[in-house]
Amino acid sequence: MNEVMLSIIVILPLITGVLIPLLPFKKRNSMLFFIETAVILNSILVWMLLLHRPEEGFTLIHFTGNLSVTFKLDGLACVFAGLISLLWPLATLYSFEYMKHEGHEKVFFMFYTVTYGVTLGIATSANIFSMYFFYEILTLVTVPMVLHTLKREAVLAARTYLYYSIGGAAFAFIGMIMVIVYGTTTDFIYGGVLNQGSYPGNVNLLLLVYVLAFMGFGVKAAIWPFCGWLPKAGVAPTPVTALLHAVAVVKSGAFAIMRLTYYSFGTDFLRGTWAQDVVMGFTIFTIVFGCSMAVKERHLKRRLAYSTISNLSYILYGVTIMTPLGLLGALVHMVSHAFMKICSFFCAGAIMYQSGKEYVYQLNGFGKKMPKTFGIFTLSALALMGMPGLCGFIAKFRLAEAAVTSQNTLAYVGIGALLISAILTAIYMLGIVIRAFFPSRDFDEDGIGDIKDPNWMMLLPLGLFAVGIVVMGLYPGPLLKLFSDISNGLF
Amino acid sequence: MDRNAVLGCLIFLPMAGAFVSYVIGRFRKNIRDCFADALVILEFILALFLFVDFGKSGTAQFHIEEFAGYGIHFVMDGFRSIYALIAALMWMMTTVFSGEYFRSYRNRNRYYLFTLLTLGATMGVFLSADLYTAFIFFEMMSFTSYVWVAHDEKKASMRAAQTYLAVAVIGGMIMLMGLFLLYHTLGTLEIASLLEAGRLCENKGLLYAAGTCIAIGFGAKAGAFPLHIWLPKAHPVAPAPASALLSGILTKSGIFGVLAVSCSLFYGDALWGEAILIIGTITMFSGAVLALFSVDLKRTLACSSMSQIGFILVGIGMQGLLGFLKEGKALAGAGTLLHMINHSLIKLVLFMAAGVVFMNIHKLDLNEIRGFGRKKPLLCFVFLMGALGIGGIPLFNGYVSKTLLHESIVEYREYYFLSSQMAGSGFLPEGMAFIEWIFLVSGGLTVAYMTKLFIAVFVEKNRDEQVQKSFDEKKNYMNVASGISLTVSALLIPALGMLPNLLMDGLADRGRDFMHAGHLEEVHYFSLESLKGAGISMGIGILVYCLIVRFLLMKKTEAGRVYVDRWPSKLDLENGLYRPILKALNGLCGFFCRILDSLVDWIVVFLRKTVYRDRPFPFELQEGTMFTYRLGTICNKVQTWVEKKFPNPKRRHHEFVHEFALVHLQLIENRMVISRSLSFGLLLICIGLILTTIYLLGVHW
Repeated sequence: MNEVMLSIIVILPLITGVLIPLLPFKKRNSMLFFIETAVILNSILVWMLLLHRPEEGFTLIHFTGNLSVTFKLDGLACVFAGLISLLWPLATLYSFEYMKHEGHEKVFFMFYTVTYGVTLGIATSANIFSMYFFYEILTLVTVPMVLHTLKREAVLAARTYLYYSIGGAAFAFIGMIMVIVYGTTTDFIYGGVLNQGSYPGNVNLLLLVYVLAFMGFGVKAAIWPFCGWLPKAGVAPTPVTALLHAVAVVKSGAFAIMRLTYYSFGTDFLRGTWAQDVVMGFTIFTIVFGCSMAVKERHLKRRLAYSTISNLSYILYGVTIMTPLGLLGALVHMVSHAFMKICSFFCAGAIMYQSGKEYVYQLNGFGKKMPKTFGIFTLSALALMGMPGLCGFIAKFRLAEAAVTSQNTLAYVGIGALLISAILTAIYMLGIVIRAFFPSRDFDEDGIGDIKDPNWMMLLPLGLFAVGIVVMGLYPGPLLKLFSDISNGLF
Repeated sequence: MDRNAVLGCLIFLPMAGAFVSYVIGRFRKNIRDCFADALVILEFILALFLFVDFGKSGTAQFHIEEFAGYGIHFVMDGFRSIYALIAALMWMMTTVFSGEYFRSYRNRNRYYLFTLLTLGATMGVFLSADLYTAFIFFEMMSFTSYVWVAHDEKKASMRAAQTYLAVAVIGGMIMLMGLFLLYHTLGTLEIASLLEAGRLCENKGLLYAAGTCIAIGFGAKAGAFPLHIWLPKAHPVAPAPASALLSGILTKSGIFGVLAVSCSLFYGDALWGEAILIIGTITMFSGAVLALFSVDLKRTLACSSMSQIGFILVGIGMQGLLGFLKEGKALAGAGTLLHMINHSLIKLVLFMAAGVVFMNIHKLDLNEIRGFGRKKPLLCFVFLMGALGIGGIPLFNGYVSKTLLHESIVEYREYYFLSSQMAGSGFLPEGMAFIEWIFLVSGGLTVAYMTKLFIAVFVEKNRDEQVQKSFDEKKNYMNVASGISLTVSALLIPALGMLPNLLMDGLADRGRDFMHAGHLEEVHYFSLESLKGAGISMGIGILVYCLIVRFLLMKKTEAGRVYVDRWPSKLDLENGLYRPILKALNGLCGFFCRILDSLVDWIVVFLRKTVYRDRPFPFELQEGTMFTYRLGTICNKVQTWVEKKFPNPKRRHHEFVHEFALVHLQLIENRMVISRSLSFGLLLICIGLILTTIYLLGVHW
């Protein structure tokens, strides 16, 4: 019975999403109630499954041979599915308030809810084919949300997003085919599935394909040079940028790379090869690159987007260390970054929603007008910097620890990059905080007008994320234990 | 009372209280002030309890497992009990003083919140048992104390705060890197076990790298050269109670880290000691020179702090160099610890006195505050105690610690021959003699700039008589609470100085375990030998004051002599070196990143313009094809060129575009005629037959 549930958590949001424009809602509130109920219900189902984990997978569609859409909950899937299902109801609640004035709500919520199911599909895929299947669908269902405002830059951004994603998927496809050809099975098995007998002689080809597939999936994880779409996609409404472009979509990319590296090609095959050096080099460069761009950027949401680029590469950097500790660091950063970034994006959204200001230099003195929002923003900024006691520090500490113990020279360079990036993060995040809380002395407070903190629908998610950041920072023990089991292939 | 719980309370009570005070402050300001006072007094009582208790029943421990990843761990030992007590004392005095000082300030609630948070964080640093815990609370302290520096929100304070934050963040990151390296090399960060682990470690190079990183991180906070840049800027702009804390205790938390590394990890390491000694000497001397040149009351005190930190670093360096000599190390260790304590207490007094001046007239420039202290005996007494203490005058506490430090240098020179047998490195006696002289000169400069301040504020009259009159009329320049807190703090200085063998030696003995220094033999502080060093310094000081300050640093104007700032403004490490480098780096980085950011876009554009270009279709051709049109245009151009170059009227003019088009038409027609004719069909059959024949021949050859 439990196995069937695996497919239900994917299908339920799809059905809900499709129903939204079809059902005749009399009032806006009844529609919102319907959506929130469905999303919360689905999240509860996910968590029930996580707590009573079915051992077997469930095949939804069987195409041919070993190509099938199959769901299975292993350790890695649990982490991603758990994360997504935790954030989605809160983000939905936030978007109810935010989308009030954006128009085309039905369409928006349709795609928003459908994306939930698709992302869960990626999380729970049992083999590389299903993952690729949902990965492509994810691209298609998220494009309309980038397009939402239908302004010129939205159209351009959507087009860029589509080009990059489809291009990336093509490379990922090559990787998938290679795994099907050279692997013993297409299923994800910790340690890799490459057939020992078949690949000698083709090692370099396989490594090349790995690099291609890494970069292909890396498009969604915004690795340089394929990160251009992310800042542009910031024109989408904030719930989209926050949840999709800081968590769901980009983390799908990182998640896919974890699957590819640890569960398909296998780290024993990759470790110490030129392919590892190449991909690690790209991640290290992206870490510094993203931060430098964020320092230069003046648009608040785009600055956060560049910061996301840098932080995603932290995760990928952890992955490319290719040791269990590296995966541990990557997982910790995946979860903690999700909380920090969604939190800071929602703060940015609240600022835009309440005041209409989009640029950093317009935020002088806002801290006193919106103390709650900016207090939480400060918390997320400190966490992103890696302030001890908050979750970002735990993640960075784990990553650096993994790098130190890996005996890989390039990984040592990465520690340097982490430090530089932390300093740059301090510049671009604290710059905003200082501006908001310490405007110059002759600053005219009445000049910025009557600006208040947003209402509870926006503040509640923010508060919960802030609590998450602190709790994970102070008591990461249980989480680390779980992740450490996963990254050693025990769970 | 459970001692271990009290230890935890010392750290977390002020942190919790900070938020309570913030909430109270939202409604009632007076109650908030009382609450904060009560809280810091309670904190002091707790610290005092532990201080006394430690003497009776030894160490206390406080663990929180798995907190922030690796768990945090606090411990109470002799050194820590002293510094916890001093921190609590300073916070108590300054917080009581704050009540009056901040009367006319904005954002007081914010100040109290962050002051109490910083108290908890600072306690956390001093009580930490391992470097990981120290790092966590050190970072917390850096950020919460930022608010002090930025409090005024003026342009200068924002800039100083920026520098402060930058140094703190960069220092913190470098320290973290050092911690990684150390943990990787030794497998432990417990301060108590660093000594043993460091001795057993074989990879000295990695150990030095780790130690250097950690020392840079802590040294930046201590204000050691060349990372002192934040110190002379941040201290003057912060509110006076905060400057007292910044200077008196926050710098010491940096010293605490340097001590932890130097005295445990590099116990008796001559090379390490040498490096610290050189940095200390530079800091000591440059701080004193900067202080001498400054014409701002608080800036002088800030530069003086830097100089005194240099003295302390010299002591730490001497501990390393004197590793071969037990008595010498004991001297240096006691000197270091006592100078830390003395400097904390003295700077508390001096900055609060400066705060009284600023609170009344809101000015700090020496020319403007000149004469403020006349006819104010209490303020004069308080300031004088501080000045005499820091100048190292006998019977005041600064004298004791400076004597000990001086003795340790002398000791090194005398017993150098032992060192060559045992360690084989370190300074030659001649080098050490040079350092001894810098030490004495710096002491002399201290006397000189304190004299300068004292004479300016308390002896000379203001140039403007009206102003002087208003100064003289000010009798209620501070309230009772402030007066008590200042007087009590000031009385500690002579008390410690007059009973050195009773009080100071006791303190030194308590703290020596932390530095792994031996027991200090009884020192005759008031022997002729000891007084000689102080005498030389004082002599130099008076000489410098009379010659340099009175003549070089003052200018005659119509209204009398005024103090002028002769320090060349170009000689500023921050504005001259660090900021330009950072700016250039930022610009360069930004430039390259911009290029790289649009790299893919440019590739796409490039491809669109070249390989994936849309077919150009500028206009409909009247006749012919694109090929004939292009060919004709080229031929036309060639023709015009030829006509220009070799004019020949007989030559016929061609319209090539048209002609080629005609040819093309002709060809099409011809092709049609040919392809439709019978002979063409036959021709094709013939070619087919020939090819078949060749193929057959080829196959059957």
